[in-house]
Amino acid sequence: MAKLTIDDLHLSYGSNHILKGITATFAQGEIVALLGRSGSGKTTLLRSIAGLEEPSKGAITIGNSPVFDGAAGLNVPSEKRGLGLVFQSYALWPHKTVFENVAYGLRLRNVPSADIAQRVAAVLEGVGLGHLGDRYPHQMSGGQQQRVALARALVYNPPVILLDEPLSNLDAKLREEARIWIRSLIKRMNLTAVFVTHDQVEAMAIADRIVLLDGGRIVQAGTPEQLYTEPVSLFASEFMGTNNQIKSRVQDKRGGYALIDLSGFPLWGKDRGGKAVSEDATGVIRLEQVSVVDGEGENCVKVELETSLYLGSQWEHVFRCGDLTLRTFGRALAPGSHWLHLPPEQLWVF
Amino acid sequence: MNRATRIAVIVAMAIAVLAPIGLVVYQSFLDGPFFQPKTAFTFSAYEFVLDDEDFYEALSNSVVIAFGMTAIAVPVGAILAFLMTRTDLPGRRWIEPVILVPMFVSSVVLAFGFVVSLGPAGFVSLWVKGWLGFVPWYLYSKWTLIVIAGLTHVPHVFLYTSSALRSLGSDVEEAARMTGAGPLRVALTVSLPMVTPNILYAAVLVFFLGFELFGLPLVLGDPEGILVLATYLYKLTNKLGTPSYQLMAVVVVAIICIALPLVAMQRYLLRTANRYVSVKGKASAQRPVTIGFWRWPAVAVIVGWLAFTVVIPISGLVLRSFVSSWGEGVHLSEVLTLDHFRELTHFPNLVRGIVNTLLIASVGGALSVGVYTALNLAAHRWQSGWTRLMDYLVLLPRAMPGLVAGLAIFWVFLFTPFLSPMRQTMVAIWVAYTLVWLAYGMRLVSGALLQIGPELEEAGRVVGASAGRVSRDLTLPLIKVGLISSWLLIFITFMREYSTGVYLLSPGTEVIGSLLVSLWGSGAVDLVTALSTVNIAMIGCGLLLMSLFGKRSHG
Repeated sequence: MAKLTIDDLHLSYGSNHILKGITATFAQGEIVALLGRSGSGKTTLLRSIAGLEEPSKGAITIGNSPVFDGAAGLNVPSEKRGLGLVFQSYALWPHKTVFENVAYGLRLRNVPSADIAQRVAAVLEGVGLGHLGDRYPHQMSGGQQQRVALARALVYNPPVILLDEPLSNLDAKLREEARIWIRSLIKRMNLTAVFVTHDQVEAMAIADRIVLLDGGRIVQAGTPEQLYTEPVSLFASEFMGTNNQIKSRVQDKRGGYALIDLSGFPLWGKDRGGKAVSEDATGVIRLEQVSVVDGEGENCVKVELETSLYLGSQWEHVFRCGDLTLRTFGRALAPGSHWLHLPPEQLWVF
Repeated sequence: MNRATRIAVIVAMAIAVLAPIGLVVYQSFLDGPFFQPKTAFTFSAYEFVLDDEDFYEALSNSVVIAFGMTAIAVPVGAILAFLMTRTDLPGRRWIEPVILVPMFVSSVVLAFGFVVSLGPAGFVSLWVKGWLGFVPWYLYSKWTLIVIAGLTHVPHVFLYTSSALRSLGSDVEEAARMTGAGPLRVALTVSLPMVTPNILYAAVLVFFLGFELFGLPLVLGDPEGILVLATYLYKLTNKLGTPSYQLMAVVVVAIICIALPLVAMQRYLLRTANRYVSVKGKASAQRPVTIGFWRWPAVAVIVGWLAFTVVIPISGLVLRSFVSSWGEGVHLSEVLTLDHFRELTHFPNLVRGIVNTLLIASVGGALSVGVYTALNLAAHRWQSGWTRLMDYLVLLPRAMPGLVAGLAIFWVFLFTPFLSPMRQTMVAIWVAYTLVWLAYGMRLVSGALLQIGPELEEAGRVVGASAGRVSRDLTLPLIKVGLISSWLLIFITFMREYSTGVYLLSPGTEVIGSLLVSLWGSGAVDLVTALSTVNIAMIGCGLLLMSLFGKRSHG
């Protein structure tokens, strides 16, 4: 069942169009990542759902009740939408204790004091801060503040919880831990969650589904695996992973594959861009899909090893082929010439 | 606040701002006081004023004095700011708080101080005469007035320049030192040019203040009959024998017409200045520039300035209030007395003045901060035509010097039937004060509001608080400290205010400032110095309170 529906949402500041028609549905119990560069409109979309921005057109429905409808002139104010929002800066109120920060939403809902104490204690326990209710936000570490922000958004059981770059203020080590516990917490509570991020690794790790945005439009939506292995555009493929790019021209097309050229070596790749023969095209292949092979063969290129970087768990090799640079991962290699294999089903031609 | 409340607040403010100005403009076209039954529309008042030689004399004096004091205050203030913020000047910690003192003491009080110290029979004058046999200066000339006005307005330039310099990274100066520039060259070619917009703003501000000057020319210009616009207005009351409302109105209109463009220019400059500085707003670690031997002449200049603008007038004034008489051949030890303070208590109006001043500064100040806060909240995080209207409305009272605003409010209370019973109460004074300091107070409170990130309020909305509850539960508690320090500043400001109450002075509405102006006119030097000393002591308590509060809220 769709918990949150967004239909053809438009938003602009003056002549600057931020959202240009976003349509998406979010199912009960699903964690969705809104992924995109800065300026892609992802945060604006999240804030529109929260009621902090007013779209110019379109509709937003939570459960069965519309909260925004441009045509009907309906715009339910934030406080009436009952959603939970975790801010990027956490936005904890510095003049209230942790307990009061979390309890505020319940007080506004006229929950009896005894219940408040119990529910706040329960939710603080849930985020692992059961004993810190008396502290003030500035007395806590960044990771703890983030947990308080989450507790504050969860305590009144919102139908949907929104998170704006929830991990961006944590250092690298904490971020990895937080990815795991946020996902398991949301799953354990069977919540519907929408979170904004610019980090594709974070999106893939936490989300059940990713909505990739660019320039105020949805580029692609699907499971993390779909986005990684079947990007629909050059932008999507570039955004989701690290690639080798081959600028070329389509020479031939056959059975869903297109033939391009890398410094004189013919390469077949999956035709994903639908470019016609003799049109300019770009071949894209993930770094990890390129492998060093013993000798010549189908879809192989001869390259010179330019340099190798030691990354600890493996080496990253940089090869030169004509005026193009190709990179791949692997074991240590001797200097000189090598052959690289670019499997046709992993080489995407856009 | 919801939309309707916001609009209501802004409309109320519009009425409060526009009514006095409208009334003044209306009055300027009448041939008699507006409350007289038989008045007709005429330009006669304009004709009279524009034919009056004294008016042009006053106008040209105002312009000359404004230019002159700007030319003095800006370079001195800018160099002072550089020395205090960017160099290893000895004793910076001690000097800095004292620099701002002339801003906090009312300028009539300072002017009295100069008279009793440097006047023909002043303490310092007589002391110097004892050495040299003559007094090498004359206090009551236009040039002395310009010098005194210039030097007493150095703090304004200092304040704006130093805050800009503080936000400048010291790397730009170090780079200049590395390429071989000496400290003075660094100041003149790197640091100060980088804060030019702020200095420019301060220059326009000082020029504007020079134009509004009232206390200094009233006291120092009077003996030689040097009139400026504000004193011309003040003297006009008696020009025709009867209070000539229409003439006063014309002068007020003239003052507003000249002041308004200056205010608009300040606003524009402040915006560009802020933009300029915020680009490099990241204040990296600041290391003071070492100025070596130059420290000593620099300190000497600063101490000299402080001695002239703070120590000499204030100590002279305080001393004068404790001596029974002063002149050649009088020995200090023989004339020390507390009589003047005892005498104060024999005048019920003076006692009332002191009590009223305390009330208007404390209770009135708190109410004013409340008004400024309500106005700020009405415009808070709201982009619309209404808030832009409000931005412009705030400028209007700013263009009315206190004397003018007091007069306009007096007329409004006279004119409006339901207000007239309150004309001779402190309510009228409070309205006038609140209006005169509207722009200043609004900026104090908005400064506090700007400190709160929008997400703190948005978080409140999202968890379910209405706009009103967000203001009450989150915004106001978060700016509490800012509001208290705003109140302390308004407290001191109201305490030193002297010109606004002049036209509102009546039994029941005495405040120290307006009493001082009227007592000076009657020549009661003993009472004036005693009352001034009381005023200085009260302001001193306010400053002490402020620094204690500052320490506590930062510690």
